[in-house]
Amino acid sequence: MKITRFALRCAALEAILFSGSRALAHGYVGDRFFPPTISTDDPFAVDELALPTVSVVKNAGGDDGPGNWEWDSGFEFDKEIFPHFSIGISDTYIYQHFRHQPAAQGWDNLTLTAKYELWHNEEHEAIIAIGLEGDIGGTGSRGVGRASFSTLSPKLYFGKGFPEFGDPLWPLQPFAVTGEIGQSFPTSAADLNALEWGFAVEYSLPYLQQHVKDIGLPKPVANMIPLVEFSMETTENRGLGGLTTGTVNPGILWETDYFQLGVEANIPINRASGSHVGATIQMWIFIDDLFPKIFGHPIFGERS
Amino acid sequence: MKRFLMNITGVILVSLALPAFVSAHANLDHAEPKVGATVNQSPKEVKIWFSQSVEPAFSTIEVFDSAGKQIDKKDSHVDKADKELLIVSVPALDPGTYKVVWHVVSTDTHKTHGDFKFTVKR
Repeated sequence: MKITRFALRCAALEAILFSGSRALAHGYVGDRFFPPTISTDDPFAVDELALPTVSVVKNAGGDDGPGNWEWDSGFEFDKEIFPHFSIGISDTYIYQHFRHQPAAQGWDNLTLTAKYELWHNEEHEAIIAIGLEGDIGGTGSRGVGRASFSTLSPKLYFGKGFPEFGDPLWPLQPFAVTGEIGQSFPTSAADLNALEWGFAVEYSLPYLQQHVKDIGLPKPVANMIPLVEFSMETTENRGLGGLTTGTVNPGILWETDYFQLGVEANIPINRASGSHVGATIQMWIFIDDLFPKIFGHPIFGERS
Repeated sequence: MKRFLMNITGVILVSLALPAFVSAHANLDHAEPKVGATVNQSPKEVKIWFSQSVEPAFSTIEVFDSAGKQIDKKDSHVDKADKELLIVSVPALDPGTYKVVWHVVSTDTHKTHGDFKFTVKR
């Protein structure tokens, strides 16, 4: 297959970053590895790279325009600047295929994120973080309907494993929850304020095999984490207060030493959330392990 | 659309291929006694196989009894024939539950750690 220039540019970026020795591991609290999830953000202010995230969904036609098949491909890159404080950038290229008219395509608005890990408890495998997410208006393509105004969303993130389940309840110990809750503030009165909330319930088979009980799972099953994510938004004003839209996203993550591959179905919770089930596939590259001279540590200071 | 899909496929293939040229941290692959197992007799050794070769000078296994007292013979060593295998000797263990704590550095200097329990049957 011919690899196009876009792919080669991504390869060059990764190759430049490649080099050799040790970095701290990503997303751990105590024995628990909290994987980066697909539909909701994780609570870690660490170096992360999601490349690519590809989703597809059939949009029903309506007041906003005719129905279409939408393919999105995006990236997210986060870098720890100070200990436990990171900044991130993400964007998505949108391709909308219409039946009887030319396709629309272009970049979504750029999203910038700042995140700080407030609190960890290794014994209880718990973490809390705060952050600010900014959707930068005018940076996306009007051809795919991106907003010209910005939206700011302060957020609270959390993660919790369940080592407290004792030996009699050992099958429950691999469960973990991560999630986020935020409040959006658009800079235009034309848009709604909304409560953005979501969480992921996951069952870590690697945690089961390595820390709780070796039940003889073969690979690659032993490296998989089944999960269900709930990604929601509840509007608060402009006559639409209390309307909740979102998706329920059952899926599976597959962990390797170098990357995580995830796939989820995106099931709308009601008619206002969509009329068709979509799908998302995502690859997280563990850049702190692959490029430890550059990643896996803050630019300033040392992680405690 | 075709070009869009080719771009995405190319990025995924390149991302999958690059890690083949580097190594990563050592994770527990399996252990003897097995993680969370109940054994009928006291083992003479606790063995852990890792997903990568480990550095002998910086890799240890410690075994603690239910009171938190370290009971292994403090002779952690990497197997001469298998650099992914770390071993520590233990004395004859009384019935009870034991906690195994491991710290390893893989040969490319990645650090990892973890723990698990096993039980000697009463």
